[in-house]
Amino acid sequence: MTSPGAHIRPVTVGGADDVTFAEMASRGQTVLADKVIEKIAGQVARDESSAGGSSGGFLGIGAHADLSARPQATAELSGNIATLSVEVGMVYPAPLRQATEELRRRIRTRVTELTGVDVRQVDIKVSWLTTDTAGGRKML
Amino acid sequence: MRQTAGTINRIWLAILGVLVLIAGIALLFQAGGQLHRFLQSAPSGTRVVTGDLHAFFAASAVVSVLLIVGVIAGVLGLLWMIAQIPRKNAAGTYRLQGHDAGGFTVCDPAVLAGAVENQVNILPGVVAASAMLRGSANAPDLTLKVTVNDRANIQDLIHRIDSTILLDLANALEAPLQRARLQVDVSGRTQRTGTVVQSTGTVVG
Repeated sequence: MTSPGAHIRPVTVGGADDVTFAEMASRGQTVLADKVIEKIAGQVARDESSAGGSSGGFLGIGAHADLSARPQATAELSGNIATLSVEVGMVYPAPLRQATEELRRRIRTRVTELTGVDVRQVDIKVSWLTTDTAGGRKML
Repeated sequence: MRQTAGTINRIWLAILGVLVLIAGIALLFQAGGQLHRFLQSAPSGTRVVTGDLHAFFAASAVVSVLLIVGVIAGVLGLLWMIAQIPRKNAAGTYRLQGHDAGGFTVCDPAVLAGAVENQVNILPGVVAASAMLRGSANAPDLTLKVTVNDRANIQDLIHRIDSTILLDLANALEAPLQRARLQVDVSGRTQRTGTVVQSTGTVVG
């Protein structure tokens, strides 16, 4: 929605000569909260890997392991660089190094694709392991 | 499941044994009247100390030295006694990947031990299981205590643990187990796995 008379300048890809810094600043700025990165990372971990999170409980008390829940993620943004920490649960006896390496790669790729933020580091903590896959979900 | 101070006990007992052995040999030679010949000392029965010992021990330097020696001996003895308390010596957090991989991957050994216990608990005849991991992620060391009921087939249980449980743990950590210790206990309790048995049949209403 643009107001009458407003002019939208087409963005020139790679045209650094055409778009000056002043012009870019006049368009406004996009501020990305840490929470956005955290939720995207958690959702990627949930949707694109076998990792799970915790559900239920109150204020973290009484929460139980749930493969269908979104894993908890925390992000530290420094400019356009993000450092992520993800707490996940996994199916036992999956090879943990392989599974977490795949998860790290997926999170890094997808978060960068979706937000443009450069994810430098993804720390993963395996907080629980379950041998019961009956309540799990199917991988897409 | 707990570890005791076996090594330190052996070391201290060896030291004390050597000292007592030397003292015993010296006493034997002294009783036989041979000690003064080996040590070029005064023969047995001769008065060695002729002066006043009170004056010697009254010196502040001697008192200080004796006090320090006594404190050191007391502290060593106390440390030895404290070392007798059995300890679990559980492993610290396992680091599965380093910083080079683009981030750390860590896992508490208790989490892995819990998964092992869950697997063991559903084996036939197992009443309870307790697992503990020591060592590192690349050289894990498992101690497993399994309580079974009196109808359990122990040979079959050991075979299942060996062929499934230990392999799964090594597979999860992607590292061979350095050592695996198994303790089997028998109890009169019954197994409560809560396993659902699927059956087919006709419900007669």
